[in-house]
Amino acid sequence: MRALVVGGTGFIGVNLVDALLAEGAHVRVTRRKRSATILLQKRPIEWAEASLEEPEKLERAMAGCDVVFLAGAYYPRYSLDLGASLAEGVRGVRNACAAAAASGVRRLVYTSTIATLAGAPPGRPADERDVPGARPEGSVYRAVKWSMEREVDAARQRGLDAVTLLPGGCIGPWDVRLGTGAIVVGVVRGMLPWWVEGTVNLVDVGDVARAHVAAATRGRADRYCLTGHDVRVGWLLRHLVARYGGAVPERELSPDEARAQAERDERDAAPRRQRVPIPRELVDMATHGQPVSSARARADLGFAPAPLDASLDRAHAWFVKHAYLPRPNHEARNDENRTD
Amino acid sequence: MKRGTMRTERTDTRGVTINLLAEICETDVSTIEGAQRLREDLGMDSLQSLELLSCVSEALKIDLDIEEAMGIRTVDDACEFVLSQYQDQRGHGRS
Repeated sequence: MRALVVGGTGFIGVNLVDALLAEGAHVRVTRRKRSATILLQKRPIEWAEASLEEPEKLERAMAGCDVVFLAGAYYPRYSLDLGASLAEGVRGVRNACAAAAASGVRRLVYTSTIATLAGAPPGRPADERDVPGARPEGSVYRAVKWSMEREVDAARQRGLDAVTLLPGGCIGPWDVRLGTGAIVVGVVRGMLPWWVEGTVNLVDVGDVARAHVAAATRGRADRYCLTGHDVRVGWLLRHLVARYGGAVPERELSPDEARAQAERDERDAAPRRQRVPIPRELVDMATHGQPVSSARARADLGFAPAPLDASLDRAHAWFVKHAYLPRPNHEARNDENRTD
Repeated sequence: MKRGTMRTERTDTRGVTINLLAEICETDVSTIEGAQRLREDLGMDSLQSLELLSCVSEALKIDLDIEEAMGIRTVDDACEFVLSQYQDQRGHGRS
């Protein structure tokens, strides 16, 4: 397989590149002027200068490829400007789909999110059928991601072979910018100022990456949910503390309070482009969270999510190795006693 | 190695690092000081730190180790790290 990965230096992207290389694929990765290429150094890949804002360069980057993975589409950093976020997100996906159609690639695999799903009818978990008929309101993140998905649907209607993947909250290595892993780091460091109850779905990023490769080669449906373990936020916080130490924040906010607090934090942080402790998007994910079935992916793609604790351990180990978290005391003591 | 050569290398790698840092932070290079902290003072997140090191790595044609780089806290730390890697890999600075 000759694959182009758009977003190959992102969290899912790096794991996807590794999964493709493990399958013997020839991998080309788009890069911008300031991409974190260091994340992929020493891997046998080819770089192609292109961004989602450059349709002609994208088309050139796709030349000769069988499959394009759009794993690095727009991700609103703050939930403050719906119009601008919608415009940028939709434009990028539209450019990628147009370039894929023009370059003649066999398939485009698009990474979306379970946050685009509608509420499931009573009596069953949500799945690929649950597509909201209108753009979700009250959440910039959900609205933008829903609109981007519809852009892929439109390209599919025009004849593009496209598979949309909807992963849950990914955890594991290479979460450099702290996505869902922010919960692990925040709890263990005791730095979460508050929390809000809800449902999150955690899935190992390695399993998600391998499912991307399977979707490219043997996906038969338009959409696949890639979900692992549905857990309540309160349970997860206590579980993390029991497993790795840290502290559950004392303040539990209601969903309305949490949305308002996250929005205030983002307004304060945006001018200096700083991170907030808990982004509004994460609040939306938890408060709109629901059990989601990955039965279709299990049947078609051989998707088999790792046990939750194994995934958490992998994520925790990566955060320790890369100085996001202090080393556990017993490891530090072992190092001090080493004579080599 | 002659002292003057060492100073030139230090200046060059420091200049490259600080210029790229200013570009990534979208700030004037003259406002950057060695003691500034990348995260707290310059507002860089972890990905931007890696973008900086990627640009430095490409500009100076050296490999930089991610695990060591993640411990960098200040502008001076970054400059010293880059200089030490440059000297190691380009065969300079050895007695």
